[in-house]
Amino acid sequence: MKLKVYADRMSQPARAVLIFCKVNGINYEEVRLDIAKRLHLTPEYAEINPMKQLPAIVDGRFKLFESHAILIYLACSFPGVADHWYPADVFERSKIHSVLDWHHSNLRPGPVTIVRNTVLAPVLGRPFNPEAAAEGEKFLSASLSKIETVWLKDNGRFLLGRNQPSIADLSLVCDIMQLELLEDSDRDRLLGPYKKVEQWIENTRNATRPHFDEVHKILMRAKAKARRQNQQLKGENHGGGGSDMKPLLSRI
Amino acid sequence: MKLKVYADRMSQPARAVIIFCKLNGIDYEEVRVDISKLQHLTPEYSEINPMKQLPAIVDGRFKLFESHAILIYLACSYPGIPDHWYPADVCKRSEIHSVLDWHHSNLRRGPGIIYQNIISMPVIGRRFNPEAVAEGEKFLSASLSKIESFWLKDKGQFLLGGNKPSIADLSLVCDIMQLEVLDEADRDRLLGPYKKVEQWIENTRSAANPHFDEVHKILLKVKEKRQNLRLKGANNEGGGSAMKKPLLSRI
Repeated sequence: MKLKVYADRMSQPARAVLIFCKVNGINYEEVRLDIAKRLHLTPEYAEINPMKQLPAIVDGRFKLFESHAILIYLACSFPGVADHWYPADVFERSKIHSVLDWHHSNLRPGPVTIVRNTVLAPVLGRPFNPEAAAEGEKFLSASLSKIETVWLKDNGRFLLGRNQPSIADLSLVCDIMQLELLEDSDRDRLLGPYKKVEQWIENTRNATRPHFDEVHKILMRAKAKARRQNQQLKGENHGGGGSDMKPLLSRI
Repeated sequence: MKLKVYADRMSQPARAVIIFCKLNGIDYEEVRVDISKLQHLTPEYSEINPMKQLPAIVDGRFKLFESHAILIYLACSYPGIPDHWYPADVCKRSEIHSVLDWHHSNLRRGPGIIYQNIISMPVIGRRFNPEAVAEGEKFLSASLSKIESFWLKDKGQFLLGGNKPSIADLSLVCDIMQLEVLDEADRDRLLGPYKKVEQWIENTRSAANPHFDEVHKILLKVKEKRQNLRLKGANNEGGGSAMKKPLLSRI
Protein backbone atom coordinates (compact mmCIF):
# COMPACT_ATOMS: atom_id res chain seq x y z
CA MET A 1 0.00 0.00 0.00
CA LYS A 2 1.47 3.29 -1.15
CA LEU A 3 2.26 6.07 1.30
CA LYS A 4 -0.47 8.72 1.27
CA VAL A 5 0.39 12.36 1.87
CA TYR A 6 -2.56 14.59 2.72
CA ALA A 7 -1.59 18.05 1.57
CA ASP A 8 -2.55 21.43 0.26
CA ARG A 9 0.40 23.01 -1.55
CA MET A 10 -0.63 26.37 -0.09
CA SER A 11 0.52 24.94 3.26
CA GLN A 12 4.23 25.47 3.92
CA PRO A 13 4.78 22.32 6.00
CA ALA A 14 2.87 20.25 3.41
CA ARG A 15 5.21 21.50 0.70
CA ALA A 16 8.26 20.50 2.73
CA VAL A 17 6.96 16.92 3.00
CA LEU A 18 6.10 16.70 -0.72
CA ILE A 19 9.47 18.05 -1.82
CA PHE A 20 11.24 15.64 0.54
CA CYS A 21 9.35 12.69 -0.96
CA LYS A 22 10.09 13.77 -4.54
CA VAL A 23 13.78 14.51 -3.92
CA ASN A 24 14.26 11.11 -2.25
CA GLY A 25 12.28 9.08 -4.74
CA ILE A 26 9.71 8.02 -2.15
CA ASN A 27 6.70 6.50 -3.84
CA TYR A 28 3.57 8.26 -2.58
CA GLU A 29 0.09 9.39 -3.47
CA GLU A 30 -0.71 13.06 -2.90
CA VAL A 31 -4.25 13.46 -1.53
CA ARG A 32 -5.19 17.06 -2.10
CA LEU A 33 -7.21 18.77 0.64
CA ASP A 34 -8.16 22.30 -0.30
CA ILE A 35 -7.93 24.46 2.83
CA ALA A 36 -9.81 27.30 1.12
CA LYS A 37 -12.74 24.92 0.62
CA ARG A 38 -12.42 23.76 4.28
CA LEU A 39 -11.77 20.16 3.23
CA HIS A 40 -9.44 19.78 6.20
CA LEU A 41 -12.44 20.26 8.50
CA THR A 42 -14.46 17.27 7.31
CA PRO A 43 -15.23 14.33 9.62
CA GLU A 44 -13.43 12.08 7.10
CA TYR A 45 -10.20 14.00 7.45
CA ALA A 46 -10.60 14.16 11.24
CA GLU A 47 -10.17 10.35 11.13
CA ILE A 48 -6.75 10.92 9.59
CA ASN A 49 -5.79 13.92 11.72
CA PRO A 50 -8.06 14.91 14.61
CA MET A 51 -6.15 18.20 14.87
CA LYS A 52 -7.56 19.00 11.39
CA GLN A 53 -4.32 20.36 10.00
CA LEU A 54 -2.07 19.59 7.09
CA PRO A 55 0.03 17.71 6.29
CA ALA A 56 -0.65 14.19 7.53
CA ILE A 57 0.51 10.83 6.22
CA VAL A 58 -0.89 7.33 6.22
CA ASP A 59 1.69 4.59 5.73
CA GLY A 60 -0.11 1.27 5.78
CA ARG A 61 -1.92 1.35 9.10
CA PHE A 62 0.31 4.05 10.55
CA LYS A 63 -1.04 7.59 10.66
CA LEU A 64 1.10 10.58 11.52
CA PHE A 65 0.74 14.36 11.59
CA GLU A 66 3.04 17.32 12.37
CA SER A 67 5.46 17.92 9.49
CA HIS A 68 8.69 17.65 11.48
CA ALA A 69 7.62 14.29 12.88
CA ILE A 70 6.67 13.20 9.33
CA LEU A 71 9.99 14.31 7.82
CA ILE A 72 11.92 12.42 10.50
CA TYR A 73 9.74 9.31 10.06
CA LEU A 74 10.28 9.33 6.29
CA ALA A 75 14.04 9.88 6.65
CA CYS A 76 14.27 6.91 9.02
CA SER A 77 11.86 4.54 7.29
CA PHE A 78 12.48 4.78 3.58
CA PRO A 79 15.54 3.25 1.98
CA GLY A 80 18.12 5.31 0.16
CA VAL A 81 17.45 8.61 1.93
CA ALA A 82 20.85 10.32 2.13
CA ASP A 83 22.22 10.80 5.65
CA HIS A 84 22.55 14.59 5.34
CA TRP A 85 18.78 15.00 5.52
CA TYR A 86 18.66 13.64 9.07
CA PRO A 87 22.14 12.57 10.16
CA ALA A 88 22.71 9.49 12.26
CA ASP A 89 25.37 11.37 14.24
CA VAL A 90 23.71 12.27 17.56
CA PHE A 91 25.30 15.72 17.78
CA GLU A 92 24.34 16.80 14.27
CA ARG A 93 20.89 15.34 14.72
CA SER A 94 20.38 17.18 18.02
CA LYS A 95 21.31 20.49 16.44
CA ILE A 96 18.76 19.86 13.70
CA HIS A 97 16.15 19.11 16.39
CA SER A 98 16.96 22.42 18.07
CA VAL A 99 16.44 24.37 14.81
CA LEU A 100 13.15 22.58 14.15
CA ASP A 101 11.96 23.27 17.72
CA TRP A 102 13.02 26.93 17.56
CA HIS A 103 11.17 27.23 14.27
CA HIS A 104 7.73 26.48 15.78
CA SER A 105 7.63 29.55 17.97
CA ASN A 106 9.90 31.75 15.92
CA LEU A 107 10.01 31.69 12.15
CA ARG A 108 6.73 29.86 11.50
CA PRO A 109 4.25 32.43 12.83
CA GLY A 110 5.86 35.34 10.91
CA PRO A 111 5.02 34.72 7.24
CA VAL A 112 1.69 33.13 8.20
CA THR A 113 0.58 36.22 10.12
CA ILE A 114 1.58 38.57 7.32
CA VAL A 115 -0.13 36.73 4.46
CA ARG A 116 -3.32 35.79 6.26
CA ASN A 117 -3.93 39.41 7.20
CA THR A 118 -3.17 40.79 3.77
CA VAL A 119 -3.07 38.94 0.48
CA LEU A 120 -4.82 35.75 1.67
CA ALA A 121 -7.43 37.51 3.81
CA PRO A 122 -10.19 37.48 1.13
CA VAL A 123 -9.58 33.77 0.41
CA LEU A 124 -9.82 32.96 4.12
CA GLY A 125 -12.91 35.12 4.58
CA ARG A 126 -11.06 37.47 6.93
CA PRO A 127 -10.82 41.24 6.99
CA PHE A 128 -7.54 42.93 6.02
CA ASN A 129 -5.68 43.71 9.21
CA PRO A 130 -2.68 45.94 8.64
CA GLU A 131 -1.84 46.14 12.35
CA ALA A 132 -1.66 42.36 12.65
CA ALA A 133 0.41 42.24 9.46
CA ALA A 134 2.79 44.83 10.89
CA GLU A 135 3.18 42.73 14.04
CA GLY A 136 3.88 39.74 11.80
CA GLU A 137 6.55 41.76 10.01
CA LYS A 138 8.29 42.66 13.26
CA PHE A 139 8.19 39.03 14.33
CA LEU A 140 9.53 37.87 10.98
CA SER A 141 12.39 40.35 11.04
CA ALA A 142 13.46 39.19 14.49
CA SER A 143 13.47 35.58 13.28
CA LEU A 144 15.32 36.34 10.05
CA SER A 145 17.89 38.22 12.08
CA LYS A 146 18.41 35.15 14.28
CA ILE A 147 18.78 32.91 11.23
CA GLU A 148 21.30 35.34 9.71
CA THR A 149 23.38 35.70 12.87
CA VAL A 150 23.02 32.34 14.62
CA TRP A 151 21.89 29.52 12.36
CA LEU A 152 23.90 30.77 9.36
CA LYS A 153 26.86 32.15 11.28
CA ASP A 154 29.26 29.42 10.19
CA ASN A 155 30.67 29.17 6.68
CA GLY A 156 28.34 26.67 5.17
CA ARG A 157 25.73 26.75 2.46
CA PHE A 158 23.04 25.56 4.82
CA LEU A 159 21.91 25.97 8.42
CA LEU A 160 24.32 24.97 11.17
CA GLY A 161 27.34 25.42 8.90
CA ARG A 162 26.51 22.34 6.87
CA ASN A 163 27.30 21.87 3.21
CA GLN A 164 24.35 19.67 2.45
CA PRO A 165 20.71 20.41 3.25
CA SER A 166 18.82 18.82 6.12
CA ILE A 167 15.11 18.58 6.85
CA ALA A 168 15.54 21.80 8.84
CA ASP A 169 16.61 23.74 5.74
CA LEU A 170 13.65 22.41 3.78
CA SER A 171 11.14 23.14 6.54
CA LEU A 172 12.30 26.69 7.24
CA VAL A 173 12.77 27.71 3.59
CA CYS A 174 9.27 26.48 2.71
CA ASP A 175 7.95 28.76 5.44
CA ILE A 176 9.80 31.78 4.10
CA MET A 177 8.57 30.98 0.57
CA GLN A 178 5.06 31.94 1.74
CA LEU A 179 6.27 35.52 1.29
CA GLU A 180 6.23 34.87 -2.47
CA LEU A 181 2.52 35.64 -2.24
CA LEU A 182 3.34 39.27 -1.50
CA GLU A 183 4.20 41.93 -4.06
CA ASP A 184 7.88 41.76 -5.02
CA SER A 185 8.59 45.11 -3.43
CA ASP A 186 7.20 43.94 -0.09
CA ARG A 187 9.02 40.63 -0.25
CA ASP A 188 12.27 42.38 -1.12
CA ARG A 189 11.80 44.89 1.67
CA LEU A 190 11.32 42.07 4.19
CA LEU A 191 14.14 39.79 2.99
CA GLY A 192 16.54 42.34 1.54
CA PRO A 193 18.44 43.14 4.76
CA TYR A 194 19.39 39.48 5.17
CA LYS A 195 21.95 38.54 2.52
CA LYS A 196 22.94 35.22 4.06
CA VAL A 197 19.28 34.24 4.34
CA GLU A 198 18.68 35.09 0.67
CA GLN A 199 21.69 33.02 -0.39
CA TRP A 200 20.62 30.11 1.79
CA ILE A 201 17.12 30.13 0.28
CA GLU A 202 18.72 29.96 -3.16
CA ASN A 203 21.05 27.14 -2.07
CA THR A 204 18.12 25.12 -0.73
CA ARG A 205 16.14 25.72 -3.88
CA ASN A 206 19.05 24.59 -6.06
CA ALA A 207 19.67 21.50 -3.94
CA THR A 208 16.07 20.35 -4.40
CA ARG A 209 15.44 21.31 -8.01
CA PRO A 210 13.33 20.79 -10.01
CA HIS A 211 10.90 19.63 -7.34
CA PHE A 212 11.19 22.78 -5.21
CA ASP A 213 10.04 25.04 -8.03
CA GLU A 214 7.38 22.62 -9.21
CA VAL A 215 5.79 22.32 -5.75
CA HIS A 216 5.93 26.08 -5.27
CA LYS A 217 4.21 26.92 -8.57
CA ILE A 218 0.93 27.18 -6.68
CA LEU A 219 2.16 30.29 -4.91
CA MET A 220 2.81 32.07 -8.21
CA ARG A 221 -0.70 31.22 -9.39
CA ALA A 222 -2.21 32.34 -6.08
CA LYS A 223 -0.22 35.61 -6.26
CA ALA A 224 -1.43 36.34 -9.79
CA LYS A 225 -5.02 35.61 -8.76
CA ALA A 226 -4.78 37.83 -5.67
CA ARG A 227 -3.32 40.61 -7.81
CA ARG A 228 -6.24 40.40 -10.24
CA GLN A 229 -8.77 40.35 -7.38
CA ASN A 230 -7.16 43.36 -5.74
CA GLN A 231 -7.10 45.29 -9.01
CA GLN A 232 -10.78 44.51 -9.40
CA LEU A 233 -11.46 45.71 -5.86
CA LYS A 234 -9.47 48.86 -6.51
CA GLY A 235 -11.38 49.44 -9.74
CA GLU A 236 -14.70 49.03 -7.93
CA ASN A 237 -13.65 51.41 -5.16
CA HIS A 238 -12.26 54.16 -7.35
CA GLY A 239 -14.48 53.82 -10.44
CA GLY A 240 -11.75 52.90 -12.87
CA GLY A 241 -8.47 51.16 -12.25
CA GLY A 242 -5.18 52.98 -12.00
CA SER A 243 -2.20 51.34 -13.59
CA ASP A 244 0.06 51.96 -10.58
CA MET A 245 1.03 48.68 -8.94
CA LYS A 246 1.64 49.84 -5.40
CA PRO A 247 2.86 47.23 -2.98
CA LEU A 248 -0.15 45.35 -1.66
CA LEU A 249 0.62 46.04 1.97
CA SER A 250 0.81 49.76 1.39
CA ARG A 251 -2.50 49.69 -0.46
CA ILE A 252 -4.43 48.63 2.61
CA MET B 1 33.80 17.09 32.37
CA LYS B 2 30.34 16.88 33.91
CA LEU B 3 27.22 17.75 31.96
CA LYS B 4 26.04 21.27 32.79
CA VAL B 5 22.35 22.12 32.79
CA TYR B 6 21.57 25.83 32.71
CA ALA B 7 18.20 26.21 34.37
CA ASP B 8 15.77 28.22 36.38
CA ARG B 9 13.28 25.90 38.06
CA MET B 10 10.57 28.48 37.40
CA SER B 11 10.93 27.49 33.73
CA GLN B 12 8.72 24.55 32.73
CA PRO B 13 11.08 23.11 30.10
CA ALA B 14 14.06 23.48 32.44
CA ARG B 15 12.25 21.42 35.07
CA ALA B 16 11.56 18.65 32.54
CA VAL B 17 15.28 18.36 31.75
CA ILE B 18 16.33 18.38 35.42
CA ILE B 19 13.77 15.74 36.39
CA PHE B 20 14.86 13.56 33.46
CA CYS B 21 18.50 13.76 34.55
CA LYS B 22 17.68 12.91 38.16
CA LEU B 23 15.39 10.01 37.25
CA ASN B 24 17.97 8.47 34.98
CA GLY B 25 20.97 8.93 37.23
CA ILE B 26 22.67 11.30 34.79
CA ASP B 27 25.56 13.03 36.52
CA TYR B 28 25.15 16.76 35.99
CA GLU B 29 25.75 20.16 37.48
CA GLU B 30 22.76 22.51 37.69
CA VAL B 31 23.81 26.05 36.85
CA ARG B 32 21.11 28.36 38.13
CA VAL B 33 20.30 31.25 35.79
CA ASP B 34 17.73 33.47 37.52
CA ILE B 35 15.17 34.75 34.99
CA SER B 36 13.71 37.24 37.47
CA LYS B 37 17.16 38.83 37.77
CA LEU B 38 17.45 38.79 33.95
CA GLN B 39 20.57 36.60 34.14
CA HIS B 40 19.50 34.83 30.95
CA LEU B 41 20.12 38.12 29.13
CA THR B 42 23.80 38.47 30.07
CA PRO B 43 26.54 38.30 27.40
CA GLU B 44 28.00 35.32 29.27
CA TYR B 45 24.82 33.33 28.92
CA SER B 46 24.49 34.33 25.25
CA GLU B 47 27.71 32.40 24.68
CA ILE B 48 25.85 29.30 25.88
CA ASN B 49 22.53 30.08 24.18
CA PRO B 50 22.33 33.02 21.75
CA MET B 51 18.53 32.75 21.90
CA LYS B 52 18.81 33.71 25.59
CA GLN B 53 16.35 31.14 26.83
CA LEU B 54 16.38 28.28 29.30
CA PRO B 55 17.23 25.48 29.49
CA ALA B 56 20.50 24.85 27.72
CA ILE B 57 23.15 22.20 28.23
CA VAL B 58 26.87 22.01 27.77
CA ASP B 59 28.26 18.49 27.44
CA GLY B 60 32.01 18.75 27.00
CA ARG B 61 32.34 21.05 24.01
CA PHE B 62 28.81 20.38 22.81
CA LYS B 63 26.21 23.06 23.49
CA LEU B 64 22.51 22.55 22.94
CA PHE B 65 19.28 24.41 23.63
CA GLU B 66 15.52 23.74 23.14
CA SER B 67 14.29 21.30 25.79
CA HIS B 68 12.87 18.68 23.43
CA ALA B 69 16.18 18.50 21.55
CA ILE B 70 17.97 18.24 24.91
CA LEU B 71 15.72 15.45 26.22
CA ILE B 72 16.22 13.46 23.01
CA TYR B 73 20.00 14.02 23.11
CA LEU B 74 20.21 12.84 26.72
CA ALA B 75 18.02 9.80 26.04
CA CYS B 76 20.28 8.81 23.12
CA SER B 77 23.65 9.64 24.63
CA TYR B 78 23.59 8.42 28.20
CA PRO B 79 23.76 4.74 29.11
CA GLY B 80 21.06 2.81 30.91
CA ILE B 81 18.11 4.98 29.98
CA PRO B 82 15.01 2.78 29.65
CA ASP B 83 13.58 2.63 26.15
CA HIS B 84 10.13 3.93 27.19
CA TRP B 85 11.45 7.47 27.55
CA TYR B 86 12.31 7.69 23.83
CA PRO B 87 11.59 4.36 22.14
CA ALA B 88 13.82 2.97 19.43
CA ASP B 89 10.74 1.79 17.53
CA VAL B 90 10.35 4.28 14.67
CA CYS B 91 6.54 4.43 14.82
CA LYS B 92 6.39 4.96 18.59
CA ARG B 93 9.18 7.50 18.38
CA SER B 94 7.40 9.38 15.57
CA GLU B 95 4.23 9.62 17.62
CA ILE B 96 6.23 11.10 20.48
CA HIS B 97 7.69 13.62 18.02
CA SER B 98 4.19 14.56 16.91
CA VAL B 99 3.08 15.21 20.53
CA LEU B 100 6.18 17.29 21.21
CA ASP B 101 5.65 19.31 18.00
CA TRP B 102 1.94 19.81 18.73
CA HIS B 103 2.90 20.96 22.20
CA HIS B 104 4.91 23.96 20.94
CA SER B 105 1.97 25.66 19.28
CA ASN B 106 -0.69 24.37 21.63
CA LEU B 107 -0.30 23.45 25.27
CA ARG B 108 2.92 25.37 25.88
CA ARG B 109 1.37 28.73 25.15
CA GLY B 110 -1.60 28.45 27.53
CA PRO B 111 -0.10 28.15 31.02
CA GLY B 112 2.76 30.40 29.87
CA ILE B 113 0.46 33.31 28.98
CA ILE B 114 -1.48 33.00 32.25
CA TYR B 115 1.67 32.67 34.32
CA GLN B 116 3.45 35.55 32.62
CA ASN B 117 0.59 37.91 33.21
CA ILE B 118 -0.10 36.93 36.77
CA ILE B 119 3.37 36.22 38.08
CA SER B 120 6.31 37.41 36.10
CA MET B 121 5.02 40.68 34.65
CA PRO B 122 4.22 42.18 38.07
CA VAL B 123 7.74 41.17 39.17
CA ILE B 124 9.30 43.24 36.43
CA GLY B 125 6.90 46.11 37.09
CA ARG B 126 4.44 45.56 34.22
CA ARG B 127 0.70 45.47 34.63
CA PHE B 128 -1.04 42.30 33.68
CA ASN B 129 -3.48 42.22 30.86
CA PRO B 130 -6.82 40.58 31.73
CA GLU B 131 -7.69 40.10 28.07
CA ALA B 132 -4.42 38.23 27.58
CA VAL B 133 -5.20 36.06 30.61
CA ALA B 134 -8.66 35.29 29.24
CA GLU B 135 -7.09 34.38 25.87
CA GLY B 136 -4.57 32.21 27.68
CA GLU B 137 -7.38 30.40 29.50
CA LYS B 138 -9.29 29.77 26.27
CA PHE B 139 -6.14 28.47 24.64
CA LEU B 140 -5.36 26.26 27.61
CA SER B 141 -8.87 24.77 27.66
CA ALA B 142 -8.70 23.97 23.97
CA SER B 143 -5.35 22.21 24.48
CA LEU B 144 -6.48 20.29 27.56
CA SER B 145 -9.54 19.19 25.64
CA LYS B 146 -7.33 17.81 22.86
CA ILE B 147 -5.16 15.96 25.37
CA GLU B 148 -8.26 14.52 27.07
CA SER B 149 -9.99 13.43 23.90
CA PHE B 150 -7.08 12.45 21.71
CA TRP B 151 -3.66 12.04 23.27
CA LEU B 152 -5.21 10.17 26.22
CA LYS B 153 -7.95 8.39 24.26
CA ASP B 154 -6.39 4.94 24.53
CA LYS B 155 -6.30 2.80 27.65
CA GLY B 156 -2.98 3.65 29.13
CA GLN B 157 -1.59 5.62 32.02
CA PHE B 158 0.29 7.98 29.76
CA LEU B 159 0.01 9.80 26.44
CA LEU B 160 -0.45 7.75 23.28
CA GLY B 161 -1.78 4.80 25.31
CA GLY B 162 1.60 4.15 26.91
CA ASN B 163 1.93 2.31 30.20
CA LYS B 164 5.23 3.95 30.93
CA PRO B 165 6.09 7.63 30.61
CA SER B 166 7.99 9.16 27.71
CA ILE B 167 9.76 12.50 27.39
CA ALA B 168 6.47 13.83 25.98
CA ASP B 169 4.64 13.10 29.26
CA LEU B 170 7.37 14.83 31.26
CA SER B 171 7.48 17.87 29.00
CA LEU B 172 3.72 18.44 28.84
CA VAL B 173 3.05 17.79 32.52
CA CYS B 174 5.79 20.22 33.56
CA ASP B 175 4.01 22.86 31.47
CA ILE B 176 0.66 22.23 33.14
CA MET B 177 2.34 22.33 36.56
CA GLN B 178 2.93 26.06 36.01
CA LEU B 179 -0.70 26.45 37.05
CA GLU B 180 0.27 25.40 40.59
CA VAL B 181 1.16 29.00 41.34
CA LEU B 182 -2.49 29.97 40.97
CA ASP B 183 -5.05 29.78 43.77
CA GLU B 184 -6.51 26.33 44.12
CA ALA B 185 -9.92 27.55 43.08
CA ASP B 186 -8.54 28.84 39.78
CA ARG B 187 -6.39 25.78 39.17
CA ASP B 188 -9.35 23.48 39.88
CA ARG B 189 -11.60 25.53 37.64
CA LEU B 190 -9.11 25.24 34.76
CA LEU B 191 -8.22 21.56 35.20
CA GLY B 192 -11.38 20.20 36.79
CA PRO B 193 -13.30 19.43 33.60
CA TYR B 194 -10.51 17.11 32.43
CA LYS B 195 -10.53 13.95 34.54
CA LYS B 196 -8.18 11.95 32.32
CA VAL B 197 -5.72 14.86 32.29
CA GLU B 198 -5.79 15.07 36.09
CA GLN B 199 -5.17 11.33 36.38
CA TRP B 200 -2.36 11.47 33.83
CA ILE B 201 -0.66 14.32 35.72
CA GLU B 202 -0.81 12.19 38.85
CA ASN B 203 0.54 9.15 36.99
CA THR B 204 3.47 11.15 35.64
CA ARG B 205 4.17 12.61 39.04
CA SER B 206 4.16 9.15 40.67
CA ALA B 207 6.43 7.73 37.98
CA ALA B 208 8.88 10.59 38.41
CA ASN B 209 8.82 10.98 42.20
CA PRO B 210 10.53 11.92 44.46
CA HIS B 211 12.35 14.07 41.92
CA PHE B 212 9.16 15.52 40.41
CA ASP B 213 7.96 16.96 43.72
CA GLU B 214 11.44 18.11 44.72
CA VAL B 215 11.99 20.03 41.48
CA HIS B 216 8.50 21.56 41.66
CA LYS B 217 8.88 22.81 45.24
CA ILE B 218 9.82 26.21 43.87
CA LEU B 219 6.30 26.71 42.51
CA LEU B 220 4.77 26.06 45.91
CA LYS B 221 7.13 28.61 47.46
CA VAL B 222 6.07 31.20 44.88
CA LYS B 223 2.42 30.41 45.54
CA GLU B 224 2.87 30.81 49.31
CA LYS B 225 4.72 34.07 48.85
CA ARG B 226 1.91 35.45 46.68
CA GLN B 227 -0.73 34.39 49.18
CA ASN B 228 1.20 36.02 52.04
CA LEU B 229 1.62 39.23 50.07
CA ARG B 230 -2.10 39.33 49.36
CA LEU B 231 -2.97 38.74 52.99
CA LYS B 232 -0.67 41.57 53.97
CA GLY B 233 -2.27 43.78 51.35
CA ALA B 234 -5.77 42.88 52.57
CA ASN B 235 -4.74 43.66 56.17
CA ASN B 236 -3.30 47.01 55.13
CA GLU B 237 -6.57 47.92 53.46
CA GLY B 238 -8.19 48.02 56.87
CA GLY B 239 -9.08 44.61 58.13
CA GLY B 240 -8.45 41.44 56.19
CA SER B 241 -11.40 39.66 54.78
CA ALA B 242 -11.68 35.99 55.57
CA MET B 243 -12.89 35.44 51.99
CA LYS B 244 -10.00 34.74 49.68
CA LYS B 245 -11.40 35.30 46.20
CA PRO B 246 -9.66 33.49 43.38
CA LEU B 247 -7.04 35.77 41.84
CA LEU B 248 -8.30 35.47 38.28
CA SER B 249 -11.85 36.24 39.39
CA ARG B 250 -10.65 39.37 41.15
CA ILE B 251 -9.58 40.91 37.88
